Amino acid sequence: MTEAPAPSAPTDGARLSRRGVERLDLLLLTIEALDLNGGEAMVWTSQQMGLQAQFPNRVELWKRRCHNPLRRTTRRDQLDPVDAESLICLVCAMADRLYPMLHQLLSSREPEQLTQQRWQLFHERLRDLIEERMNPRREAVVRLLTMEPAGPLHRQLISTLAFCAGPGGIDRLRATLLDPTP
Amino acid sequence: MLKTTYQYEQTAARLVVEGFPDLSAGQSNEAIGILSSWRLQLIGAPELEGTRDHLEALMAAVMPYARHRLSGVQRRFGLEDGFVSIAPDQANHRLELRSSREGVEPLQLKLDDAELADLVRCLDRLRLDNRVKLTWTFPEDRPLKHQEIVDRIPLQKRLGPPLLAGVALAACTIATAWLVPLPQGTKETSPAPAPVDKPETQSDR
Repeated sequence: MTEAPAPSAPTDGARLSRRGVERLDLLLLTIEALDLNGGEAMVWTSQQMGLQAQFPNRVELWKRRCHNPLRRTTRRDQLDPVDAESLICLVCAMADRLYPMLHQLLSSREPEQLTQQRWQLFHERLRDLIEERMNPRREAVVRLLTMEPAGPLHRQLISTLAFCAGPGGIDRLRATLLDPTP
Repeated sequence: MLKTTYQYEQTAARLVVEGFPDLSAGQSNEAIGILSSWRLQLIGAPELEGTRDHLEALMAAVMPYARHRLSGVQRRFGLEDGFVSIAPDQANHRLELRSSREGVEPLQLKLDDAELADLVRCLDRLRLDNRVKLTWTFPEDRPLKHQEIVDRIPLQKRLGPPLLAGVALAACTIATAWLVPLPQGTKETSPAPAPVDKPETQSDR
């Protein structure tokens, strides 16, 4: 049986693997690619959710995200489980906010040309952000930079956000980030 | 007793549930403890309706499917002879609904990612709604097992690198054996013993 999870307050948290932190940060980067003012929106949303203790400002949020080993500036210590849980809640809340855009990208009922233009725009923004923030000497980063617009990796990122949008998606996202590395 | 109706909408999907509070369990008038009916409207598809069993079957198939989809695992969910099943269909999803009435053909709906996300969000809202006092029977969201993650990678891709490494190693071994000259074979016959000068002793003198 499944019980309703708390909509926003982070619980004891989950200790994410290196791969889990990479995926979580990539989802936050995807949100920034969708929303030009994403960085500010994340801080504002975290305050709305009562997470100001974890992320009082952009710098603190950036410091947590630097646990991603693919970043140019990376922190060696592990991401605190409470911070990881807060970031998971933040991703779900931001995905909820951006859901109309996610829906437009994934829908097959939208005009094809318009959808292609949207994917192209998203692709360019995401590539710019990856080039700016990630370490280009990493093989995984090179792979991200060579993604095709609307390719499987892009679709996976956008559909992940769509399926974990809102309070109901928190458990799903946490579970998928805790998956073992193949 | 008044019938209570709640509606959950998300872009292309609308789920309506109707029922009554279970007064014997002390539920308030706004609660639904006894589900009498439900309706699901998806854009471009006929309206679906059914009883609590059908809704439970829908929830039990769609929610684990969405969970596995997040981890990149694409497989069918729902019993073969159950009311609802969902399976991947190329880039889309095929939702199959079977009626409990005899002689009614199963209904197949093709959903894209956006429509499936809408449906999942409607079901999420229903299961998280504190006014609806129903228990849902589907597995809790947990990390997948290692084997499930491995199985999502095609066999060709999984076995390719070790096979290639084995072939490369074998090729290197053969090339080394051909290129590096083997040491000359030693003759079986032992060489003639060298004459040994006997040291002079005092007795020889």
